[in-house]
Amino acid sequence: MQTLSEPTLVSHLLALFALIRKDWKQYWRYPLNAISSVFHPLVWIAPVYFMGLAFSANGKAEGFAQYSGTTDFMSFILLGTVLENFINAVFWGMGYALKNDMDSGVMESNWLTPIPRLLILIGHSVTNLIVTAITSASMLLFGGLIFGFHPTGDILAAFLPIIPMMLGLYGFGFAFAALVMLMREANAMVDMSSFLVQIFSGANFPVNALPRYLLPVALALPLTYGLDSVRARLIGTTPLLPLNTEMVLLVVFMFVMLWIGTWSFRALERRVRVLGTLGQH
Amino acid sequence: MRSATFVPASLGHTTPLNGLRALWAVVRREWMIFIRYPSWVVSLFIWPIIFPMGYILTARALSGVDGSGLAQFKLNTGLTEYVGYMAVGTMIWMWQNVVLWNVGGALRNEQMRGTLESNWLSPTWRFAYLLGASVPQLVSMLSMLAVSGFEYAFIFGVKFNGSLWLTMLVVLAAIPSVYGLGFAFASLVITMKESNAFVFLVRGIVMVFCGVTYPLAIQPQWMQNVAEWLPQTYIIHAVRSAALSTEGFQGIAYDLQMLLIFGVFWLTLGMLVFAWMERRARQTGAIGQY
Repeated sequence: MQTLSEPTLVSHLLALFALIRKDWKQYWRYPLNAISSVFHPLVWIAPVYFMGLAFSANGKAEGFAQYSGTTDFMSFILLGTVLENFINAVFWGMGYALKNDMDSGVMESNWLTPIPRLLILIGHSVTNLIVTAITSASMLLFGGLIFGFHPTGDILAAFLPIIPMMLGLYGFGFAFAALVMLMREANAMVDMSSFLVQIFSGANFPVNALPRYLLPVALALPLTYGLDSVRARLIGTTPLLPLNTEMVLLVVFMFVMLWIGTWSFRALERRVRVLGTLGQH
Repeated sequence: MRSATFVPASLGHTTPLNGLRALWAVVRREWMIFIRYPSWVVSLFIWPIIFPMGYILTARALSGVDGSGLAQFKLNTGLTEYVGYMAVGTMIWMWQNVVLWNVGGALRNEQMRGTLESNWLSPTWRFAYLLGASVPQLVSMLSMLAVSGFEYAFIFGVKFNGSLWLTMLVVLAAIPSVYGLGFAFASLVITMKESNAFVFLVRGIVMVFCGVTYPLAIQPQWMQNVAEWLPQTYIIHAVRSAALSTEGFQGIAYDLQMLLIFGVFWLTLGMLVFAWMERRARQTGAIGQY
C-alpha cells in the first residue's frame, strides 16, 4: 500500500485525523466525565473565592492589589484557571495518553506504524485542546455569572502571547511524554508536575508574592510571562516586565523549548526502544 | 467417578479462612503494585507540601505587602494565622481524595484491566477485593498523614500546640466514614463506569462546603447547613482542634460523636451498595464491560 510504504503528508494528516477522531469518540463516550470537566475547575476556584472574601473589605482585596495591581482577584484567578486548563491539556493530553495506550496494550502496535512519533503525541493532544477550549469558554461563562469576570482590555491583543506560550508548552510536553514512556508511569508524574508548574507560573496568585528564594523558579518558567502578559492585556494588572519584552521572551522560549523537547523525546524514545520496554507497563 | 469430579476443598467449600486467605492475597498484590511505581511512593512526600502551598501562597498574596489583607482576614474570621489552618484542611481533603481514587477506583481499575470478571467468577469472598485494596491504601495514607505533620512543622513552621493522642483518636474515628464512603463509591463507579466525574463531584463537594481553607462562617447559611451533613466537616474541625489548639477533649467531643454516627452510616451503606452491585452485576452480566 502506498500509504504504508511511502508515507506522504496526506497519509500523515489522515493518521492525525484518525487519532483525533478516536480520542474525540472516546471522550464523549463518557458524557458525565465530559460535563464534569466544565464544572471541575470552578470547584477549585470556589474555595479561593471564599478565601478572597475573608481577606477583603467590601469585596475589594486591597492587599492583593499591592502585588497584582488589581483588587478584582476573581477575574485574576478565573483567567489564570482558564490558561491553566490549557497547560493541563498538554500535560495530560500527551503524557497521560501514552500511559493509557500502554495500559490498554496498543502502545507497541501504534509505535510500529509508519507515522512520525511526534505526530502521535500531537494527535493525542489536539482533542484535549479542542475540549479545553470548549470547557474553558463555558467555564468563563458560568464562572463569570457566579463569581464575576470583568475584562477591560483588548481580547485580540490578549491572544497574542498565547500562541508562542502554547507552542513552547508543546516542546515541554514532548520531553515530558518521553519521560512517561521511560518511567512507565504517568498519574503521579503528570499530576505533580502540572501542579508545580501552575503554582510557580502564578495561575492563582501574582508570582511576586512568592518568597524571594522561590521567585527565580517562577521567573525561569516561560508560562509565567505568558500568564502575566495575558492578564496585563485583558484585566489591566501590572506586568512583571514591559509587555514587548515579555513577548520577545515568549518567542525565544518557544524555539528553545521546541528544540529541547524534540531532542529529548528522540533520545529517550531511542532509549526505550533499546531497552525493549515499550509494551510494558 | 469420584476422582473426575474432585473439587479442592478451598474452592468447593468456602470458609471464613478461605476468605481471609483471599483477602491477604489481594492485600499482597495491591502492595506489590503500589511499590512497583516509585513515583507513587515519592508523591506521598511531595503532595503534602505542594498542595497546601498553592492555597497558602494565594493567602500570602491576598495578605498584601503591608499585611493589610491579613488584618482584614483576622477581622473577618477571628483567626490569627492561616498556614496551619489551611495545612490541616488540605491534608484531610487529600486523604479523602486519595481514598476516592484508590479505594473508590479499585474495582474500576480491575474492570479496565480486564481482570474483574474472571476474579468475580472465582469462589472467593468478593468483598475481599475491595477490602484488600483498602488495607495497603490505609497504611500508605496513615504514613502520609504522619509525614505531612512533620513537613508542616519543619517546612511551613506550623506550631502543633495540641495533643498527638487526641489527633490520632480523631483519625481513628474518621476511618469508618472515609473508607465507608470509598466502599459505596467503588460499587457505584463500576456500575456507572464514569469514575472521574464521580470523584470530581464528591471531592468538589468536600472542597467547597467543608471549610478546607476558610472558616465555615464565611459561607452563606445554606452552605453551612449542607456542611453539617458531611463527615469531613467534623474531621477537619476535630483535627484542627486536636492538633493546633489546647482545647483538649472538650474541643473534639461533639465531632467524635458525629463521626461515630457517620461512620456507622457510611460503612453500612458501603456494604449495602456493594451487595446491591454484586447482585446487579450477576443479573445484567455487564461487570466486564467498560
